[in-house]
Amino acid sequence: MAPPRTYRAEALTLKSAPLGEADLLITLFAREWGKLRAVAKGARRPTAKLVGHLEPLTLTRLSLARGRTLDLISQAETLENFTPLKSNLTAVTKGLYVAELVDGYGSEAGPNEPLLTLTLDTLTALGRAPEAALPLLHFQLRLLSVSGLMPELQCCVECRRPLEPGRHRYSAAGGGVFCPACAAAASAEVALRPLSLRALKVLRLLARHHRPALLPPLTLNEPLSLELNALLSNTTQYWLGQKIRSQDFLNHLAHSEKTLASAKKGNDN
Amino acid sequence: MTLEHLPSAAPSLARLIQELNKLPGIGPKSAQRLAYHIIRLPDSEARDLANAINAVKQNIKFCSECQNLTDASPCPVCANSQRNREQICVVEDPLDVLALERTHCYRGLYHVLHGVISPLNGIGPDQLKLKELFPRLADGQVKELVIATNPTLEGEATAMYISRHLVGSDLKVTHLARGLPVGGSLEYSDELTLSRAFQGRQEA
Repeated sequence: MAPPRTYRAEALTLKSAPLGEADLLITLFAREWGKLRAVAKGARRPTAKLVGHLEPLTLTRLSLARGRTLDLISQAETLENFTPLKSNLTAVTKGLYVAELVDGYGSEAGPNEPLLTLTLDTLTALGRAPEAALPLLHFQLRLLSVSGLMPELQCCVECRRPLEPGRHRYSAAGGGVFCPACAAAASAEVALRPLSLRALKVLRLLARHHRPALLPPLTLNEPLSLELNALLSNTTQYWLGQKIRSQDFLNHLAHSEKTLASAKKGNDN
Repeated sequence: MTLEHLPSAAPSLARLIQELNKLPGIGPKSAQRLAYHIIRLPDSEARDLANAINAVKQNIKFCSECQNLTDASPCPVCANSQRNREQICVVEDPLDVLALERTHCYRGLYHVLHGVISPLNGIGPDQLKLKELFPRLADGQVKELVIATNPTLEGEATAMYISRHLVGSDLKVTHLARGLPVGGSLEYSDELTLSRAFQGRQEA
């Protein structure tokens, strides 16, 4: 029997791109189907009914019709708009970074409920605390975990001995943390980077919590936050095999926030 | 489409089809139709088309003030002494200037960004005409900046970026009203559009 012509999906919009005269090509991450691409016909016309529901970072309930190459979106209803996230520039940029990673790691082969739940939880957490560093760090580590790429944080990846406090090294290509002895013997190909003890502790803390809402209210100082950001974005980028494009604007914002804050401090003094 | 895909067409025709196929919204079939249409045009009309493309590439430049596309800098809007120099309206695209001019309800100046901040496409503030905007606001002549970026996620992000840079200045920063389009329908509107329409409601 032929599959039905129409189907339903609950999906998060990851991105959209113009297609033809007035259509949009939408990339979605659906609870029932995983990643899929579909066309919203006429969505770029001013009176289009679909376009408001299909903005990136919106969770929608959709009706789709199977097409020859791409499916067509026939109806859309917003389930969650993530308004607090979209009202803050830092939060929305982090949200787009999350969407880019989901687009890269999400598979068209089938559903991935843990990844969708993690993504929705992270978008909610980012809306609540746009400036907090933990939600995005947690997302990146859990993304690696639900994708089967979790770095080893308890034992040395080479000798398998439990890690004692010391001058550890970390390698995305090597699959996790190297103890000082194994790091000294490792080849240059594994591209080791220093890993502070505090950063290792934060990584273990993030790995223990499945949901960002359950994270303790931990504030990271700037060097620690930078170390963890560099380590996790380097790892996600390594497994993705391509540059994460939204990273540049995220870095630009962090830099301009720092400049504005120091200028404000100078004015106050 | 490459020349190898058009083995039966004459090389010059194949090249024309290939070039037309590079235009936005023009697929291989449309490119072929346009190419054959151009062949059937009288010589003078085909030459006019070629000359128009040449002229636009040679003469069009950015206005030194508003960054709109123009063949004389400053552009006619910036050079017009009747325009209100206390207002600047920031738009994404030169076509947005034409759309706003058609309304006849805005008499200020413009600033064209030539795009929006689009992190997913790797487009940041440095790729836009933003660095040309902030010096225009520095001398205190401009009293209001109207942000007229599109009400999309990227348009809103660009608006937030501009507003964030102007925090603490005396400039009045506004953006166009959000809400229901003329001819639209409440029933099919999304929650964000409706809530913004409610926030921006006016006395009847």
